[in-house]
Amino acid sequence: MQDLRVQFFVSEGTVTAVDGVSFEVDRGEIVGIVGESGSGKTMTALSLLRLIPEPGRITNGRILYGEKDIAQMTDEEIREFRGNEVAMIFQDPMTSLNPVLRIGFQVEEAMAAHSRFTNQQSRDRVVPMLQRVRIPAAKDRVRDYPHQFSGGMRQRGMIAMGVSNEPSLLIADEPTTALDVTVQASIIELLRDLSRELRASVILITHNMALVASLCNRVIVMYAGRIVEQGPTRAIFKNPQHPYTWSLLRSMPRMDEVGHERLVSIRGLPPDLSKMPPGCKFHPRCRFRIDKCLTEEPPLAEVDPAQDARCWVLMKNIPNPEAEALK
Amino acid sequence: MAQAAPISQPEVELTYEVPEQVTLLNDAWRRLKRNRIALVGAVIIGILLIVALISIIWTPYPVWLQAVGPTYQTPSLKHPLGLDQAGRDILSRIMGGALITVEVGIGSAIILSLIGIPLGLIAGFYRGKVDTIISFFINIWYGIPDLLVALILVFVLSDALHLIPRGVLVIIIAFALTRWMDVARLVRGQTLSLREREFVEAARMGGARDFAMLTRHIFPNALGPIIVQATFAIPAAVLFEAFLSFLGLGLPPPTPSWGAMAADGYHGMDFAPHIVLAPTVALSLTLMAFNWLGDGLRDAFDPRMKR
Amino acid sequence: MTAQPAPTPTTDPTIKTALLRVEKLVKYFPAGGGLLARNIVHAVDGVDLAIQPGETLGLVGESGCGKSTLGRVIVRLLPATSGHIYFQDTDLTKVRGEKLRRTRQEIQMIFQDPYASLNPRMTVGDIVSEPLRNFGVARGRKADQRVQEMMRVVGLNPNFVNRYPHEFSGGQRQRIGIARALVLDPKFIVADEPVSALDVSIQAQIVNLMEDLQSKFNLTFLFIAHDLSVVRHISDRVAVMYLGKIVEIGPSDAIRDKPLHPYTKVLQSSVPVPDPDIEATRKPILLKGEIPSPVNPPNACRFHTRCPIAQPICSEVEPPLEKKENGRFAACHFAGQL
Repeated sequence: MQDLRVQFFVSEGTVTAVDGVSFEVDRGEIVGIVGESGSGKTMTALSLLRLIPEPGRITNGRILYGEKDIAQMTDEEIREFRGNEVAMIFQDPMTSLNPVLRIGFQVEEAMAAHSRFTNQQSRDRVVPMLQRVRIPAAKDRVRDYPHQFSGGMRQRGMIAMGVSNEPSLLIADEPTTALDVTVQASIIELLRDLSRELRASVILITHNMALVASLCNRVIVMYAGRIVEQGPTRAIFKNPQHPYTWSLLRSMPRMDEVGHERLVSIRGLPPDLSKMPPGCKFHPRCRFRIDKCLTEEPPLAEVDPAQDARCWVLMKNIPNPEAEALK
Repeated sequence: MAQAAPISQPEVELTYEVPEQVTLLNDAWRRLKRNRIALVGAVIIGILLIVALISIIWTPYPVWLQAVGPTYQTPSLKHPLGLDQAGRDILSRIMGGALITVEVGIGSAIILSLIGIPLGLIAGFYRGKVDTIISFFINIWYGIPDLLVALILVFVLSDALHLIPRGVLVIIIAFALTRWMDVARLVRGQTLSLREREFVEAARMGGARDFAMLTRHIFPNALGPIIVQATFAIPAAVLFEAFLSFLGLGLPPPTPSWGAMAADGYHGMDFAPHIVLAPTVALSLTLMAFNWLGDGLRDAFDPRMKR
Repeated sequence: MTAQPAPTPTTDPTIKTALLRVEKLVKYFPAGGGLLARNIVHAVDGVDLAIQPGETLGLVGESGCGKSTLGRVIVRLLPATSGHIYFQDTDLTKVRGEKLRRTRQEIQMIFQDPYASLNPRMTVGDIVSEPLRNFGVARGRKADQRVQEMMRVVGLNPNFVNRYPHEFSGGQRQRIGIARALVLDPKFIVADEPVSALDVSIQAQIVNLMEDLQSKFNLTFLFIAHDLSVVRHISDRVAVMYLGKIVEIGPSDAIRDKPLHPYTKVLQSSVPVPDPDIEATRKPILLKGEIPSPVNPPNACRFHTRCPIAQPICSEVEPPLEKKENGRFAACHFAGQL
């Protein structure tokens, strides 16, 4: 993805949901895109499949899949592309599955629609597909309707539809947010195993940093439509350079914390995309800002090998950040 | 390590400013203003109201005065809408009719609400036996052929029992008694869903008594659909009165009800169409205006229609 | 967090120090609606709890376990099917009408949804002052002052009393809800998923706020949530709920370090930690099967259908919630063995 910009044109003006986002995903990588509301992470993912809802549009940038630019594809090409090369799993399986069609039929349809398999082949592959996503008693449940499944099972059904055509890229947008934590654990395990089996890349979009620590090789942190930091998972978690990443990590209660430390909260409010301040978009909430942050927006620059951050200050230049934060 | 740290003051001032106070009503008002047809309707209704008010103190000629000129006279400079079969100035009578229309329309809406809203609130809020009884009545009432029954009611109340003299009041009552369940059913539905909302639970936790919960929490949030309903009820009432008057069962002569005027002039359709035309057009415009406004209000209040 | 040692046994009726005691609380709902509903949802099926003054008891469980229902029954937004709720020696289940209304001055609730818990037609000032007017505690100017004080206390600018809820963000609305809960100076507050609907960066603000308020006003909290990380952080003790029953109670760190009940252990192993090194070494214990329906809970131990260490006795004899160690209770025949 190069320099992507997604904008929404509404009566009050133009809202820029994604601005100048560039990143790469290699084969077999699991990349996590982390952000809160207003970060633009979902729009970035939707743009990969050209699924931006009205009144939004991709107004700039290229999305290169191999040689082809997704942003420039014709409708025909996109349809072929979706579900075949790239599959997407959404947050709420209840609304993404057709409630009046049987699960087995929907999985079969997903395959038949992309002509990678003949109709007969598709039908034969349905039960093994459901078994692969670990739906118990798959043979019996093939004829069930979505409402007969629990939330976790429906999500597995969605995953089955998604991987049925053996895509090279799987995009999961908050796949476990609506699920209980025990179910979440099993879905994440499933995604991990599937990505290995299929040798597919995965883009996991979430607001839950702990999930990212568990599953992803690389992390991209987004804020207000921009990438503010990216790098290998270990580097980001052990050595975050952007104040937002740093504060986010310290604002989460952790199961493994020793004693009781006060959480470092990020003050202020989530960004309002229609009223962005000048300079760095995070500066209104940043404890470590300097004058330059108010006027000039920093570029995304390399701060360590393979790690980039968008900040004038950088956490490594702050002697005792904890003390600052608790003031 | 619970140090007595001051509670962090989020910079409320820094991070959000609100240009003007945007209440929900403001928002609905803005959306309404964008709806052209609804605005046209509102303007027509405005004119209707003004004319009605003016007619209380002044009309070009007294409404009941006959023979101010030759009967059936077509519109002229002196009488812009002409004269009717008794030589009365039609313009003046139209103005008087506007007042009747306003009285019937708004009066009906008020009585409908007075009956329907409390019943709906109580049924929806308390549920159980109370609701069963009220719902039972609502359902029974729907089976009644309302127009017929309203007619009978008017007859019974006025002519048979002489309880209420023939006039606007009896019509309003008859109409309200046959259509109250529209409002009641709507309010009941609203109440049923609102009472489960967290802010109602929170009100109960705050010690609010039942009456306060109904009046302060449930009713104001049900207002939107209620207003829309009332706006649609008005043309129904007006039409009802016109219909009655047309049949000769409505307001007694020489009351300048538009329906009565149309009825009176019906026989002269061939040679003096202006007599029927004036009240009919007035009636049609009024009905359309209320419907347009009602549609506009419904869209404006609909929380799902965010641009 | 208050410096309270692990409190005393929870099911001992002789304990007088508890602020709130729940005994054999049961809440059933008829399922399928109508007068002749044959199915019964066993939302809360015999719960015993005691909450000490000044402590935060966390109540954690997954969807359908009944924790929100339990919270609402305790504050009497829902009537109990059977059982007792003792608040300072008064049995709340026996209180009705006006007397019940009066108890609201002492027991309050913070709700989950910051968007639905505030009346959109009322100004923020009215919302926070309403409880004052309901009980005649303060009127007019005195009420206004109290409202402004409360807003300051929760970190909101008091100049905004005349604004409407929709003009505020989610986190700010939650603060308004907290101000409303505090305005009557209650002793006990049930917080039902107070941070679940908020962004992560805002959650920390509200968690810190609640901790500060607790020490400032000497509050006792029942903190209901599904997120074990948050619950463990803010609570002194944690109670774990499964299918309408409490399966374990203990000090929050002990629950985390050495869970006794298999379900607690599974929960704890499923919660990811924001540390890739640690996560690389962990493997969650996956549960088999689905959560049973509360209409038809399993016999004896409710967890036996999915428990990794279930034995025959688990489907025959229901394990009681009993003391396993000092201050720790679990309902399992094989506590600590997973």
